[in-house]
Amino acid sequence: MAYKPQYGPGTSKVAENRRKQMNPSQKLEKMRDVTDEDIVLILGHRAPGAAYPTAHPPLAEQQEPDCPIRKIVTPTDGAKAGDRVRYIQFADSMFFAPCHPYQRTYLESYRFRGIDPGTLSGRQIVECRERDLEKYSKELLETELLDAARTGIRGATVHGHSLRLAENGMMFDMLQRSVLGEDGIVRYVKNQIGEPLDRAVAIGKPLDEKWLKAHTTIFHSLGGVPYRDDAEYIEYVQRIHSLRTKYGFMPKE
Amino acid sequence: MAKIERTQKLFLKSLKEKFQGQDPQSETAEYYKFNGYHQSPRKEEFVKASRAVEMDRGISMYDPVRCHLGGIPLGQRQLMTYEVSGTGVFVEGDDLHFVNNAAMQQMWDDIRRTVIVNMDLAHQTLQKRLGKEVTPETINEYLHVLNHAMPGAAVVQEHMVETHPGLVDDCYVKVFTGDQELADDLEPQFVLDVEKLFPAKQAEVLSAAVGKSLWQAIHIPTTVSRTCDGGTTSRWSAMQIGMSFIGAYRMCAGEAAVADLSYAAKHAGVVQMASHLPARRARGPNEPGGIMFGVFSDIVQANRKYPNDPAKASLEVVGAGTMLFDQIWLGSYMSGGVGFTQYATAAYTDNILDEFTYYGMDYIKDKYKVDWKNPSPNDRVKPTQEVVNDISTEVALNGMEQYEQFPTMMEDHFGGSQRAGVLAAACGLSSSIATGNSNAGLNGWYLCMLLHKDGWSRLGFFGYDLQDQCGSANTLSVRGDEGAIGEVRGPNYPNYAMNVGHQGEYAAIVGGAHYGRGDAFCFDPRIKICFADPALKFDFAEPRREFAKGAIREFMPAGERSLIIPAR
Repeated sequence: MAYKPQYGPGTSKVAENRRKQMNPSQKLEKMRDVTDEDIVLILGHRAPGAAYPTAHPPLAEQQEPDCPIRKIVTPTDGAKAGDRVRYIQFADSMFFAPCHPYQRTYLESYRFRGIDPGTLSGRQIVECRERDLEKYSKELLETELLDAARTGIRGATVHGHSLRLAENGMMFDMLQRSVLGEDGIVRYVKNQIGEPLDRAVAIGKPLDEKWLKAHTTIFHSLGGVPYRDDAEYIEYVQRIHSLRTKYGFMPKE
Repeated sequence: MAKIERTQKLFLKSLKEKFQGQDPQSETAEYYKFNGYHQSPRKEEFVKASRAVEMDRGISMYDPVRCHLGGIPLGQRQLMTYEVSGTGVFVEGDDLHFVNNAAMQQMWDDIRRTVIVNMDLAHQTLQKRLGKEVTPETINEYLHVLNHAMPGAAVVQEHMVETHPGLVDDCYVKVFTGDQELADDLEPQFVLDVEKLFPAKQAEVLSAAVGKSLWQAIHIPTTVSRTCDGGTTSRWSAMQIGMSFIGAYRMCAGEAAVADLSYAAKHAGVVQMASHLPARRARGPNEPGGIMFGVFSDIVQANRKYPNDPAKASLEVVGAGTMLFDQIWLGSYMSGGVGFTQYATAAYTDNILDEFTYYGMDYIKDKYKVDWKNPSPNDRVKPTQEVVNDISTEVALNGMEQYEQFPTMMEDHFGGSQRAGVLAAACGLSSSIATGNSNAGLNGWYLCMLLHKDGWSRLGFFGYDLQDQCGSANTLSVRGDEGAIGEVRGPNYPNYAMNVGHQGEYAAIVGGAHYGRGDAFCFDPRIKICFADPALKFDFAEPRREFAKGAIREFMPAGERSLIIPAR
């Protein structure tokens, strides 16, 4: 019987949103346009238009060992070219940001290839070959996975995910990498590591509160979906825990 | 699980003090207007002190504007004060780093410089091998000599160097026994009187457990254990014990029986506070990584002072344990990081863990009829998986909801690791106090971690991926190198050895199981008695109060050096 992913339990809207983001057969809604050059600027790994620095020669030009795994796995474009491994890192506000650290890791694992995600409480990093990263970043930035005010692209000094929002609705960022203009547009004035950009990069207007609460993937009892209300989800976690406990105690049956 | 009503919010006073003039339930705040580090009197003091140091030594030092993120100093958000839980004392966060807090240093000093040494083996050698008489009078004389020698004075040889008593005033030896008749015959200055120090019920159990044997509670000088290490304690102690026996009992300094006394003091009769660690961690005995959780819960004395509040007793272990295991052991011994303080203090400041834990107490009373204010093994709940799942789930959900309902509290615990440790500690304590079973408590901890992770789609730092997501499986395992009962697990237990934000709480979960049952001790009655000593510099019945005193610079530590340095 072929494995059929279920993308997690739960009867709530939050659980449904999580499944939708994870399921690669579901197209993520495009919310904004960010040019390829703008993505390169925010990432800050190379100058726009510069060649991709390499970590090794293109695979076609180097002697590959006789390895059965290499015959099975098709290399990504970045791996083929020998690109360096670089990263994008996000901070997601607990005030109803559309995506959150483990959710990011899960959905990236379903949707992207050749990635190495790392998940913490205040940030989530994904590393991969540089040209693959730019392709994935476009999807991460242009779609419903990002809100201009409550999602931060932050390589370091990520502090802010659990803080109250600023009075203009922006998530706190000590380095103020992105600023909300009087025209209602959020612009990055520093790259993800906090270096000032030569020109500001617009990433659109913050999404409205109603949309965010309808699309968020975090349970939250203050105006959102209380975790307690999704009994199926709770029961699932308890079941996982109970089974792990039982088989750790006596690994049989 | 079913939510219960609890109108009292122990953390509210702290939040109102920390975020003055703001609604603790507000969802927005002002930022970037606090003038950076200048908002903190302590950091201003740091700058001033650093300028003086720089002028003196000619080398640059603390420069928070130039050196923090290329010109953006700390303090773009409000730099908060902290209330040390259960004390009402507000302190600067910086003053809870152990370098800035003399009480924290002394707590660890007092553990590291302590060993307990049996006297019966030596007395048998004296009586049976040498035919000498041992009476209360000779024991008193020996203890006089030992309290002269232990700080570093000569007892046998001529022309010896000695230590200055003013530098080693914290060093002394007392004895304890379960034989009250013998205790009454010894000079009171030397006796830890179990009947006077402990509530009657606890005293009875402790005396019975110790029996007629006689033990020495030895505290070598703080300065010595600081200059050397924990492994020194038993050696320093044994040398002075050997010389004191020679002096007090008029033995020949070179006779073979002295070797028996040495062997008893150094090996056969010594109780270390911590076992030595394997080569990859390379520490001798009496270093933090070797302290078993059951032992640590005996070192902390809050259940002696507050026998009818197992929650408070456990919370004091959390405070003491996170300070020692997170701030000192993992933070500095193991990693060298300065920021570990931030993880640890979350568990003993602002009454947040206290509130979550007392919610758990209300819940176990309401649902399981556990009369937690009258600790007894009789009304504990049978520790089934269903019971642990129920208690832990309810306490976890309540805690998460409190963070959600009070955004200033979420801002207070701004890191996921802080919230993870605090939530899971409340779940673990509630489960262990309800069941009287430490492993059930640990099981409650891990369910909380899984619930937390799935509810908010985040947990703690990378390390939580390992320890907390596979932890359920080892909670009830007792196979060698894979598991153990909670009492004999410790900071170097395989799955616990690398993660900040856990070990102090684990120790408290173990303690809670016994405090909830009203047990007199968790693992070792001798250690419980030893640290009940009111003459110790650090009061182990009130660790959090002592830390608060240290933070406001009212704690007087040992380790005086002004006698031997130039006057300032």
